[in-house]
Amino acid sequence: MKKKRLFSLLLAGALTISLAACGGQEGVTNNASENPSSSSEETGAQASAETQAEEASVKPETPSGQLIFGFVTDLEGEFYDTAFNNTATNYKTYDLIHGYETVSYTKEGEFVYNPTVVKSHEEVENEDGTKTYTITINDGLTWSDGTPITAKDYVFQMLLESSPEMNQVDGYPSLSGIYYVGYEEYLAGETEYFQGVRLVDDMTYSLTVKADELPFHYDITYASSMPRPLFVIAPGCDVVDSEEGAYISGDFTTELLQETINNPDTGYRYNPQVTCGPYKFVSYDTASRQGIFEVNPNFAGDYRGVKPAIQTLIIKTVNSQTQINELSAGTVDILVQISGGDDINAGLDLVDAGSAGKNTYFRNGYGKIQFDCSQFPTDSVNVRQAIAYCLDRNEFARQYSGGYASIVHAAYGLAQWEYVESQTWIDENLNAYDKNIEKAKELLAADGWNKNASGGDYQDGDGLRYKEVDGQLVPLVIEWANTENNPVSDLLNTMLPEAMEQAGMQLNATTMDFPTLSASIGHQGDTIYNMYNLATGFASAHSPWYYYSTDERFMTNGYNSNWIVDEELAEASGALKSIPYDDRETWLSTWQNYIKVWNEKLPDIPLYSDEYHDFFNPKVKGWEASSIWDWSRAVLDAWVEE
Amino acid sequence: MGKGRYLLKRIIYIIFVFFIISILMFIIYKSTPGDPVEMMIGGNRANMRPEMYEQQYKQVEEMLGLNKPLPLQYFSWIGNMLTGNFGYSTQYKRQVIDIIGSPMKNTILLNLCSMVVVFLISVPLGIATAVRKNSIFDKAVQVLTIVGYSIPSFIIALLAIFLLAIKIPIFPISGVQTAGFRGNSLEMLLDTAKHMVLPVLVMSVGGVGGITRYVRASMIDALRMDYIKTARSKGLRERVVIYVHAFRNALIPVVTVTTWWIIGLFGGSVVIESIFLWPGLGQMLLNGLMQRDFSVVLTMQMFYVVLALTGNVIMDIAYTLVDPRVRLEN
Repeated sequence: MKKKRLFSLLLAGALTISLAACGGQEGVTNNASENPSSSSEETGAQASAETQAEEASVKPETPSGQLIFGFVTDLEGEFYDTAFNNTATNYKTYDLIHGYETVSYTKEGEFVYNPTVVKSHEEVENEDGTKTYTITINDGLTWSDGTPITAKDYVFQMLLESSPEMNQVDGYPSLSGIYYVGYEEYLAGETEYFQGVRLVDDMTYSLTVKADELPFHYDITYASSMPRPLFVIAPGCDVVDSEEGAYISGDFTTELLQETINNPDTGYRYNPQVTCGPYKFVSYDTASRQGIFEVNPNFAGDYRGVKPAIQTLIIKTVNSQTQINELSAGTVDILVQISGGDDINAGLDLVDAGSAGKNTYFRNGYGKIQFDCSQFPTDSVNVRQAIAYCLDRNEFARQYSGGYASIVHAAYGLAQWEYVESQTWIDENLNAYDKNIEKAKELLAADGWNKNASGGDYQDGDGLRYKEVDGQLVPLVIEWANTENNPVSDLLNTMLPEAMEQAGMQLNATTMDFPTLSASIGHQGDTIYNMYNLATGFASAHSPWYYYSTDERFMTNGYNSNWIVDEELAEASGALKSIPYDDRETWLSTWQNYIKVWNEKLPDIPLYSDEYHDFFNPKVKGWEASSIWDWSRAVLDAWVEE
Repeated sequence: MGKGRYLLKRIIYIIFVFFIISILMFIIYKSTPGDPVEMMIGGNRANMRPEMYEQQYKQVEEMLGLNKPLPLQYFSWIGNMLTGNFGYSTQYKRQVIDIIGSPMKNTILLNLCSMVVVFLISVPLGIATAVRKNSIFDKAVQVLTIVGYSIPSFIIALLAIFLLAIKIPIFPISGVQTAGFRGNSLEMLLDTAKHMVLPVLVMSVGGVGGITRYVRASMIDALRMDYIKTARSKGLRERVVIYVHAFRNALIPVVTVTTWWIIGLFGGSVVIESIFLWPGLGQMLLNGLMQRDFSVVLTMQMFYVVLALTGNVIMDIAYTLVDPRVRLEN
């Protein structure tokens, strides 16, 4: 009897566990229709920060407190630059510890000379078509250990990261100086000096850009460089100027760099102890993949002079399934760029309960259907447009994101200033491709897809459309490659095939892993697929002229991944390249023309642009990140109130 | 003499199989679609101008030796591997030997703790259920072990997190160490131990279910043997009959399982490591495959091949230790 009771108890216990687990799902709701995003009309540049009682809190003068960031991508234990490690979390961490760049990317999304660093600058166009940028840095800048920073440290960075010696350190690409005169000879080891790099005096240096790299819209970035500590990375060496250019004197060898940069315990790559960013590297735990960073007391400020007010930053990995629970439990203080209805709603529940704050902004990019425009039949604009007319993109974005996304109509991000200044123009001039099966049919018929399987004239109800190509009837079949476990693929699979069938098209889906998909896009092996679903983001120096160039080189190297050869689009995007950086008016009108042509040629169908949410512990104040002002920069304005 | 010859033959066999498998593995991975160079540096493309990207692509291709013919690549790889150079990880951009230590330590730690828990529970439990065969206790344990054995570990993991980390927050949700935790070695150890409780618990549930049933079945067979009746008829105490006479004979099949568990110490669990964010070999292997990081994947695969082959030899030797009737030369 006693044993029977025990058995019953165990079964009841198991049942309770199951019920409790099911109950756990109730806390996560996906009620976007009831709780539409409060900032759905805002742009990324106008990100809204909502923290309670923030008005009463003031950023402290002295740094204090700690902030634990949770990221779904591991922090790897190296801190040199993206050439060694370009994982998402590391990418931004470099900005925390390395600073004093001469050209900064501002909160408003523009490149400017950094006044905290640059005392004066001069640009001279030389007779041979080259251009020399001469930069004088401010007195008083120091490394985190108090050692003064001089022009030698800036010249050293350019020489080091273009050198053959550095190239031998785990294959570091040594490309920093690629745009400057004499780079090839210097990298090849033919000369010990770098002709286009000069040390003028202790606080001044110059960089001379090759003639064939000009004109270039983002030419201000040619003046961009950052210091590296000469005395740490190349002890016993010096930076010396000569008539032929600057060079590194002393025993500067790969063996030296293997020790000072690549030593797993003490090397600058893994354990940078002398830096000049807003934060200093403290430690990295390989077992837990956690990094600790502390304020650099010698940091003079970013381009605005802003210094950090949070003493310690900790970076740890979180699981996307439990990240909101980690925030709720207090094991992380802040989660950035949360997307997807489930996670956002769970985070908003915390906000409603007063146990979290939030900050929202639109992604500077979009999810998309990317066409291969070299592949029949998506080489036809009509076919691409017809596919676009088969999809209700607003409904797609709503279902995919739970209501936390918007759509764009061409290759732009909602955070770009060009979009902000062109919203009305875009509404009036771009085709929104609202779902319209009849329009799709018209486009296909006009493109010659007006035969049925037996070669007769196509009538509604005939099913698949055919076209006569070189005397043969060819069916209108679209091959679609997508990746596994991808909610976008799943949703497209429910929305697109049926609508395309109504228009007379057949969609064949093939699922694969990302490297295979990537190889297909790059035409490695047989070229089979017409379209892919992917996502894209825009770089700070977004350069569309590479992406739509008709030069085959830009297709094989992956820039023109649409493989589109369209002179009109190439011309429209190419016209942007040489516009001077400060000529905003010309740039804007040229940009508008470019996206209008893009919207018509439709190399991609933009599907959604996420409305990202940052969720944070209410102790965090002043959090104003956006898609162009990421967490590593936003943390300088923030503070914690314990 | 017989034992020595047997071992020599097995070692020659291991070497032969090792090279055959190495060729097969190499061909399989090299014919997998996907460009390791693209996976390595493609993420930087948007922030690089084309000429810079192209130059870096060429440099990386050359550095990895991917511009050489396949047979040359194989000989270069196997030659390096046999001399302890496991190659360059395209994902971590470091030598494989430098990155594999930490996840291996994490995996071994987790598996070792789980193994100890599993054997401490399942061996006595298996014996107890065999001795009390068909009792209510035995049936209850049978049901529970089937449940534990059958439920996928990710479900048990999510249940454990929900109950013991979220509803009753006594254990951390994930990770190896509390963020920013500082203390002496003992405090650090205790903190890690706290983080290990849930993953070990989840890993042990399935293991306890399986091994308990294995030990039970083996013990039931042993208890049926004539020598047990003889032992009992000699008037030996039941405890001696069970633990000295029956259990030793029941050990032979258990040795098989135990040997594989010991080998399995080096095998990471993708599910457990992913859910509990325990950076181990399972995650590393999966990421390596997804990123076409062939140096990492091939190193790990060949390591497992060596483990499996030597494991078989160890198992044969272990049989002779627990059962004197078994002779290696036979």
